[in-house]
Amino acid sequence: MALLKYESQVRPPLVNGDKDYHQVTEDIVRPIESNPSKMWWAGFLIAVGLLCFGIYSVYRDVDYGIGQWNLNKTVGWGWDITNFVWWVGIGHAGTLISAILLLFRQGWRTGVNRAAEAMTIFAVMCAGQFPIWHMGRVWMAFFVMPYPNTRGPLWPNFNSPLLWDVFAISTYFTVSLLFWYAGLLPDLATVRDRAKLKWRKLFYGITSFGWTGSTKHWQRHEALSLVLAGLATPLVLSVHTIVSFDFATSVIPGWHTTIFPPYFVAGAIFSGFAMVQSLLIISRKVLKLEDYITMEHIEVMNKVIVLTGSIVGVAYLTELFIAWYGQNKFENWAFMQNRVNLFSPLGWSYYIMMGCNVLSPQIFWFKKMRRNLTVTFFMSVIVNIGMWFERFVIIVTSIYRDYLPSSWSTYYTPTIWEIGFYLGTFGLFFTCYFLFSKFFPVIAIAEIKHILKRSGENYKEKMGDAEKEPLEVFAHEMAH
Amino acid sequence: MSDKKYWQSFGERSNSEAFKQSSENEFNSELSLDGLDGKGLLDAKTPRRDFLKYLGFSTAAATLAASCEMPVKKVIPYVNKPEEITPGVANYYATTYVSGGDVVSVVAKVRDGRPIKIEGNELSSITKGGTSARVQASVLDLYDTARLRYPVQMVGGKPKEVSTFDAFDKMVGDDLAGLGGSPIVLLTGTITSPSSKEIIAAFLAKYPGSKHVQYDADSYSGILLANEAAYGKRAIPSYQFDQAKVIVSLDADFLGTWLSPIEFARQYAKGRKVNEKNPEVSKHYQFESLLSVTGGNSDYRFVHLPTETGVVALALLAELNGSVSAPSLDEKLKAGIKKAAQDLLANKGNALVVSGSNNVNVQLLVNAINEAIGANGTTINWSAPIQFRQGIDSDFASLVSDMDGGKVGALFVYNANPAYDYFDADKFKAALKKVKTSVSFNDRLDETSELCKYVIPAPHYLESWGDAEPKTGYYSLLQPTIMPLFKTRPFEESLLKWSGNTTTHEDYVRQYWIKKTGSLEGYEKALQDGVVEPATASASSSAFSSAKIADAVAAINAQKKGDKYELVLYKKVSLGVGSQANNPWLLEMPDPITRADWDNYAIVSPQYAKEVLGVDVSNRRQADKYEVHPDKTVLSIKVNGKNITLPALIIPGTHANVIGVAVGFGRQSADAGNTAEFIGRAVVGAGKNAFPLAMFNGQTIEGYAPSVTVEKTNEVYKVAQTQTHNSYEGRTEVVKEMTLADFKKSPDSILEERDEELKPFGGIKNFEEQGTLYAVYDKPGIKWGMSIDMNSCVACGACVIACHAENNVPVVGKSEVLRFHDMHWMRIDRYFSGDLNDANSVQTVFQPMLCQHCDNAPCENVCPVSATNHSSEGLNQMIYNRCIGTRYCANNCPYKVRRFNWADYTGADSFPDNQRGILDDSVMMMNDDLSRMVLNPDVTVRSRGVMEKCSFCVQRLQEGKLKAKMENRTLKDMVDVRTACQQACPTEAIVFGDARDKDSMIAKTRAENEQRVFYALEELHVLPNVNYLAKIRNTDVIEGVAAEKHV
Repeated sequence: MALLKYESQVRPPLVNGDKDYHQVTEDIVRPIESNPSKMWWAGFLIAVGLLCFGIYSVYRDVDYGIGQWNLNKTVGWGWDITNFVWWVGIGHAGTLISAILLLFRQGWRTGVNRAAEAMTIFAVMCAGQFPIWHMGRVWMAFFVMPYPNTRGPLWPNFNSPLLWDVFAISTYFTVSLLFWYAGLLPDLATVRDRAKLKWRKLFYGITSFGWTGSTKHWQRHEALSLVLAGLATPLVLSVHTIVSFDFATSVIPGWHTTIFPPYFVAGAIFSGFAMVQSLLIISRKVLKLEDYITMEHIEVMNKVIVLTGSIVGVAYLTELFIAWYGQNKFENWAFMQNRVNLFSPLGWSYYIMMGCNVLSPQIFWFKKMRRNLTVTFFMSVIVNIGMWFERFVIIVTSIYRDYLPSSWSTYYTPTIWEIGFYLGTFGLFFTCYFLFSKFFPVIAIAEIKHILKRSGENYKEKMGDAEKEPLEVFAHEMAH
Repeated sequence: MSDKKYWQSFGERSNSEAFKQSSENEFNSELSLDGLDGKGLLDAKTPRRDFLKYLGFSTAAATLAASCEMPVKKVIPYVNKPEEITPGVANYYATTYVSGGDVVSVVAKVRDGRPIKIEGNELSSITKGGTSARVQASVLDLYDTARLRYPVQMVGGKPKEVSTFDAFDKMVGDDLAGLGGSPIVLLTGTITSPSSKEIIAAFLAKYPGSKHVQYDADSYSGILLANEAAYGKRAIPSYQFDQAKVIVSLDADFLGTWLSPIEFARQYAKGRKVNEKNPEVSKHYQFESLLSVTGGNSDYRFVHLPTETGVVALALLAELNGSVSAPSLDEKLKAGIKKAAQDLLANKGNALVVSGSNNVNVQLLVNAINEAIGANGTTINWSAPIQFRQGIDSDFASLVSDMDGGKVGALFVYNANPAYDYFDADKFKAALKKVKTSVSFNDRLDETSELCKYVIPAPHYLESWGDAEPKTGYYSLLQPTIMPLFKTRPFEESLLKWSGNTTTHEDYVRQYWIKKTGSLEGYEKALQDGVVEPATASASSSAFSSAKIADAVAAINAQKKGDKYELVLYKKVSLGVGSQANNPWLLEMPDPITRADWDNYAIVSPQYAKEVLGVDVSNRRQADKYEVHPDKTVLSIKVNGKNITLPALIIPGTHANVIGVAVGFGRQSADAGNTAEFIGRAVVGAGKNAFPLAMFNGQTIEGYAPSVTVEKTNEVYKVAQTQTHNSYEGRTEVVKEMTLADFKKSPDSILEERDEELKPFGGIKNFEEQGTLYAVYDKPGIKWGMSIDMNSCVACGACVIACHAENNVPVVGKSEVLRFHDMHWMRIDRYFSGDLNDANSVQTVFQPMLCQHCDNAPCENVCPVSATNHSSEGLNQMIYNRCIGTRYCANNCPYKVRRFNWADYTGADSFPDNQRGILDDSVMMMNDDLSRMVLNPDVTVRSRGVMEKCSFCVQRLQEGKLKAKMENRTLKDMVDVRTACQQACPTEAIVFGDARDKDSMIAKTRAENEQRVFYALEELHVLPNVNYLAKIRNTDVIEGVAAEKHV
C-alpha cells in the first residue's frame, strides 16, 4: 500500500525510544533521585581538586603580584585574556541554542538547551574570573562600577572597551542566568512533587519558587521565556562583538582590525558548539540519555560547526589578504612575520590555529563523519584547542613584536600559576557541571514533552496495523 | 437545570482554604506586603526604611570589622626650626664627586636633611652641568647598606669593632712605633686634592723613608710616560674635541669611559649638532676591536685586533708624514687609515687623534701623529693638564715586590683595591701578608680592606669636606650635605692625627682655602660656587721631542701577533672598574651597546657565533631563536693559565677574532660567603672578575691578552637584556637618519617624506584636524614638549640613572629583568644596521625612548577607570591610586614605554614583606630603611599592581610653576623647569619646555630644525609631544635605510 503516505520521512523523530510522558520524567529525574555513580564521584573530585589548585594559583597572584605570571613589559596580556575570550566564546552556544533557536522554533533545541545554557552560565563564570584576577590591584576592582561615590564622584571611563566588557559580560551573565532558571522552574517543581526525602522536598520547594503549574504560571513562564529570549538574542551577537572591541579599537597591528566583531561571534559559536558536543557526548552516555540527545542533535550541531568553522576560516584569509593589500608595514609584519612565518618564535601557534579551526572541521562535510560519535568528540576537543590558539595568536603574536623592534619581547611561556589559573577554571566549570547534573534535570522535562509525538506515534502504530489489512478494510478504518 | 457540579481539580472539589487562597492570588497583581491593611507602605511589617537601616548597619559593621589596623608612624617637628631648612623645600649644595681619580663638580639636592639627587654644577667650565650615570648613581652609594659603620680590627677574617677612634689611634700608633724603621707606604688611587697632597707630604715628612704610591685600576700610565718622553711632562693634556673637525680615535672610548667622558661628550656634541642653515658636522673615525659607545657614534668605524693597535697608529703616522714606513695591514683597514689620514691632513690644526691604549709606544706614536696634524696647541691644550690619573703601573709593581721582599713596614690603603683589580692580585695578596701592619681607609670591607689589619670607615663624598683639582688650576670643592651616617673619619684626618697634628680635616681645608683665596669670604664664595677656576686661556702647546719615536716604531714593529683569538678587556659605562659595583641602579643600567645588565659576558662577533656556537644571526630564523631565549652558551676563556667562564653575547661590530669582556664585575670577598655583608648584597653573583686576564708588558698594564683559548662548554647561562632585537627593520617611521651629503643635497627630504606619508590626511599641516573623525579643540596655556637630538645623544645613559633617582624608579633585580620586567622610564634604544658579517659596516643608532605624552594617547582611552588621562598642559598623567592594573594601556602603547609593577619592588604594598625569596636580594637591599632614604619625597613610591611611566618630571614642573607664580612672573624657559633627564645630559641632546611659548628653547629648536624634526610613528595620529631630530651621519651610506629595501 505504498501510495499512501501519512508521514513525512524528512525529519526523523526528535526523541527516540517511544517514550511516554511518564517515562520522560522518570528518565530525566532518575540521576537526581538516585545516588551518584562512582564515575560521578571520581569526576567531581578531580574537578574540585583542579578548582583548589586554581584557587591557590590565584592566591599567589593576589598575594605576590602579577609577576607570578610570565607577562612582561611588552606582552601585557597572555594566557589570562586568552582564557577569558575563550571561555566567553564557549558560552555563546548555550545562548544561541536557547534564545535564537527558541525564536526560530527549532524543536530539536529542547533536547540540549538546558545543558547548553548551564554550560553558558558556568563558562561565563569562568571567563569572568580572568579580567577580575588579572588586575594588578584586584581589591580595587570595584572602581569599574559606575556608581555615585565620594571620590569626586569619579566615574569610570566610558570610552574604554574594558568597561564595555564589564557591562556586556555582566548583562550576559544576568540574562543567561535568569533565562536558565526560568526554564528550570517547572522541572524543579516536578522534582519537588516527586520528592520523598525531607531535604529534597525543602530544597526543591525553595528553588521552585512555589510553582504550581497553574495556567497563570504557565502563561507568565511562556511570556518571560520569550522576553528573555528576545533580550538574549542580541546578546549572542553583542557580547563577543564587545569583547572583540578590546582589540579592534586598539592601535596594535593585528588587533586593530574591523573584521573582528563578526569574526569573533562566528568563532564563539564555533567553539561553543564544540564544547556542547564534548559535554553532551559524555552526558548522554553517563546519564543514559541517548534517547533524548540523539544522533540528530549531534549531526545538526556538527553542521553548525562546519559552517562557523568555515566562516572563521574565511575571516582568517580576509585578514591575511587585507594585511597584504592594506600596505601597512606594521600590520603586514604582524601577519606575515609574527604569524605566517612558521619559524618565527611563536609562528607555530598560527598553524595550530589554522589546522584545528579551518582544516580539520571540513571533515564534517561528510555525513558519516557528522554521525560518528568518536570523530565528533575528538573534533570537538580539537576545535576548542584551535579556538584557544586563535585567541592566543591574536593577543600574543600581535603585541610581542609590534611597532618598536627595541621592545620585542622574549619568548612568552606561562608559569605554573598561569596554567594553574586556567586549570582552576576548568575545575570551577566541571565542579558546577557535575553539581548541576546531579541536582538539576539536564534536559528540560517540560519542554521536551512539547515535542514528544506520543499520540502521533500511537496513531502511526495503529495505522501500521491497518496497513496490513486489505484495502477495503483500510478504507473502512479511514472512514471512521 | 441540573445541579451537577463540575470541577477542574481536586482542590476545587474539596474547596479547601489553601485552594481558595491560591486561586484568589492567582491573578493578584498587587504588591503584597504583610500587614498592609490599607495603610501606607511605611507601616508595613517590613518597611523599606527598616531594610535600609539593617543594610546600612551591616555594611558599616562589615567594613569596620574588615579594616586593618594601620601602623602609627610619628613625624616629629623641629622644636627650633633651623633658618635654612623649610620642610618640603630642597636645599642645593655645591660639592664634588670624587671617585677613583674622577672629579666632577656637582650640586647635591638635599631634602629634609637628606641628599637625594645629584646634578651637575653648571659653574664648572669642564662639565658645564653635565653628569654621567656613575655620578648620578653616586647618591645611592651614600645609603649603601654594606657601608662599614665603625672602625674595626680584622681578626681571623672577621671584623671586630674598635670602640673609639682614640683606641684605634692607639692601636695603630703602637704598631707604627714597632715598625723598627721599616717604611710606611701610602697606597692610594689618584689624589687630585691639593690639600690632601699637602697633608700626605706632611705625613711622609714625619715618617722618613715612607712614600706615597698612586695606583689606578683604570691605568693611564702609557699616556703619562709617553708624554714624559715626548713633552717632558708626566701629565695628560686637555683635549678639545669641540675644536676638531676630524676626530680619529684609536680604541679610545672617549664618550663612554675614557679619561673625562662628560667633558668630551659635551665638546664632541658641539661639533655634531646640525645647524640647518649651514649643515656641518665633525667627521669621526673610530678604530677599535669591540664596539664601544664612541664607536657607535662614529661616522666611519674600522675594526682591528688588539695586537694591531700599535700597527694601526704606525700606519696612520706613515700615511701622514711618511717619516716611518707603513706596516702591512688588512686592505679594508688600510683603506680606512688612508681615508682618515687624508681627512686629518686636510684639516690640519682642526684635527685630533686620541688613543685608549695604555702602551707607551703606541701613545708616543699618537703624540707624533698629533704633531703631524697640528693638534698640539689647538685641539690639545697643555695649559691645563687633566689630573684624573697619576698612577704609574711600574711603581705599583715595584711596591708589590717590595712588600713581597718584606721591605714595607706598614701599608696604608686608601681609594685603591688591588686585591680585586690588580692583574696579579694573588701576588699582591701574598705580599700584603708580609707587611707588618696595614690600615685601610675605606667605606666597606672590600677585597683589599678585609686583608688589612685595621679598617677605618671613610666618609662618602657627600659627607666630606675637601677639594679636588680636576685640571691644573681648576679647583672643585667638597662640602658635606648630611651629618656622617656612620662612625667615619676622613683619611686625611687620620694622617693629620698620626703625624701629630690635632687639626680636624674640616679646619685644615678651611685654613688651606682661606689662605688660597685670601679671605674667609673668598672661601665661602668658593664653597657656594663649588668651583674656583682661572680665567679662560687659549690653548697652549708644549715642545715636542721626537727622540723616542724611532724606538717606539721599532718596538711596535717587533710586536708579535696573537693567536687565533685575542681578548679585549673593556670598561662598561655603568660600572667602570667596579668601585661603585654595589649600586643596584648601575647594575641594572642596560649597557648602551649590549643592552644587558647585572652581569658581564663574553662579547663575540657574529662570525665567531656562526663558526663556534652554530648561531648564524644573519639568518632570521636562527637570530630569532637566539634572541628570544636568554640562555646563552657559556664559553671557557683561558689566558696564561687563568680561566673564567662567561656566557657569550653576539654583538655585531666586533672583530671576528676578538672576545671582549668587561672588567668591574665579579666582586667577591676572600670567603665568598662574606660578599653580601662585606662588599654588598647587590654584587653577589654579578658577573666574573676579568682583571686577572690583563697583561703587564713590563712597563704598563694593558687591557688585552694576545693569546686566548676559548672553548665552548655545554652549559648555558641566562643573560638579562632589556632589548633583544637589534635591527630597526628599516622602519623609518621610528628612526630617521641620513648622510650629511644627502642632507646638504636635499635638506627637505625628511619633511617631504613626512608630508607624503600624511598626504591622505592633508599633509603635515592639516594632519591634526584631518587625521581624526573628532573635533579638534583649542588647548590654550602651557603645552609641554620635548625635543631629542639624535645627533647629540651619545648614549652615555646619564639620563637613565637621573630618571631612576628623580622618580624613585624601582630596581627589579636580574631575575626580573630576565623576565622583561625592567622598570626604566627612560631607555636608550640601540639599533644596529649594516652587514652583520662585516664588522666595519655596522652602524649603530641610539634613540632615547620615553613616554611620548601623546595628545591623542592610545593608552588614555582604553583605561577602564581613567587612571591615565591628559592634563591641560599636554601631559599624559598617571594616577597611581586610581590604577587597578589591567595593563591595557601598556598593551596599547605603540612605544611600549609603560611599566607595570609586577611585584612589590618598593616595599610600598599593602601586603608587606612577602617578596623575600621571590625577588632578588638586591631589591630587598633597595627596600632597606637606609637605602630608602634616597627616595624623592615629591614622587609617589608606586605599589605593586599599578602602571607607571615617565611623567615629564611633573613634580619639577609643578615646583617651577609655583615658584613663578609666587614671584608673579611667567616661567623662565630652561631655568624654572627642567626634566631630570634633560638636566643630566652632558650633551644637551634633550630640550624641554613650553612649546606654545614662541621664545622658548623647545619652540625655537623645533622651528630651527624643521628639516630634521620628526615624530616617532607619527602616522598613527597619536600626536606625540616628544619630537626627535633626525640623525645626520657624516658618512657615505646609511645602512639602516639601505636595509629597508630588502626587508
